[in-house]
Amino acid sequence: MNNTEEYITSGILELYATGALNPQEMREVEQMAASSAEVRAALDETLAALEQYAHAHAIAPNPSLKSRVMQQVEDEALEREALAAIPLRPAQDSSPYRWMFAASITLFLVSGILSVYFYSQWKQTESRLAVALAQDQQMAQNFNTVSQRMEQQEVLLRMLRDENYRPVKLQGVASHPDANVMVYWSPEQQHVYVDAVQLPEPPEGKQYQLWALRDGQPIDAGMLQLNGQTAMQQMKQIGAAQAFAITLEPEGGSQNPTLEAMYVMGEV
Amino acid sequence: MQEQKLHKITEEELIARLQSGDAKAMSVLYDMYSATLFGVVMQIVKVEETAEDVLQEAFVKIWNSFQSYDAGKGRLFTWMINICRNLAIDKIRSKQHRVSLQTRDIPASPRADMGSDNFKPEHIGLREITEKLNPEQKQIIDLMYFEGMTQTEIADEYQIPLGTVKTRARSAIKTLVKLFKGRE
Repeated sequence: MNNTEEYITSGILELYATGALNPQEMREVEQMAASSAEVRAALDETLAALEQYAHAHAIAPNPSLKSRVMQQVEDEALEREALAAIPLRPAQDSSPYRWMFAASITLFLVSGILSVYFYSQWKQTESRLAVALAQDQQMAQNFNTVSQRMEQQEVLLRMLRDENYRPVKLQGVASHPDANVMVYWSPEQQHVYVDAVQLPEPPEGKQYQLWALRDGQPIDAGMLQLNGQTAMQQMKQIGAAQAFAITLEPEGGSQNPTLEAMYVMGEV
Repeated sequence: MQEQKLHKITEEELIARLQSGDAKAMSVLYDMYSATLFGVVMQIVKVEETAEDVLQEAFVKIWNSFQSYDAGKGRLFTWMINICRNLAIDKIRSKQHRVSLQTRDIPASPRADMGSDNFKPEHIGLREITEKLNPEQKQIIDLMYFEGMTQTEIADEYQIPLGTVKTRARSAIKTLVKLFKGRE
């Protein structure tokens, strides 16, 4: 009680009421007033008295001042509203869902474009590979053909160089003057080859057959693989012969030659 | 003092409206307090145009910082008059007012004739107050309340012992309290 009385009479309330205290000291007085009803009452009394004292000195300002003040207050209010509104919008815009939605659409478009691009690349590559494979096959075929021919040429060359081989030229008979065939025969090895075949295309179901004539007897020397190709062909083995002839026989050959259908003949 | 009672009834509501950012409540607040606050500002800056600028600035500051006003801690008027006083003092301490501040005389009856032309009789009291308060007491109160001077500053500037300044301030306010207590 004593302390409260002392506090009230200390003069600090008057200082507070006249605005002579700094903010820290003002807070202390407010705290005292909040904790003590007596201080509160004394302070209110003091404040009210000075408020009345101020009222006694009231001077009405120029009426135009009010509109100036209110205009500025309203401007500030609008500005405050605008400032309060601004931070909300970006927050909405930057919502993670919105962001993710945009990102997923972008990803979808990019992946779509990429898959079309890769698909066309793949197709192109595939067709190029097919071309390359076909070329490769062609090359292999060509190589086979060439090497086959080469082999035949080598065989032919060997035969021509070999003294044991006898070249026999079969000439076309009277009814087929343009036909002729070369036969290379080695009596020692009993090998027989036909080459440079120039015979008409055999009709369907027919095939040319080579005969060796020994002591007037025809011996089957094999069928010609005459499919329009003039490659050299090895025939059956023949040990002895005086002449060779070719007749046109039914497919698969005959036991005895059909003499009327003889095309070429030549003596050894 | 009927007007004063009317103010007190609506003060809480007014505070609530101002704290919720209701600009129209500012118009009410202005009507209630502009004359009193303008009187206080005039006491300090003495030039009407300057006082108007200060009052405008003060009301905008009141509006903008109303969130920080705590009705539980102090009276609304006290809070507002502090804002006005601080702005007015800042003004007179700025360059333009330096000269007049330095060459200021000690007025014999300092503020009694200030604003006497615009004096509002309905608030009365001024003549009555000057009858009750002796000139020394009134001078101290005016210097403190209207000029924002500390008691030490008053003691130094007017060559009065600090104890005397304090005594005069207290007795002046006591007189005022008695004077207005009877009216409420």
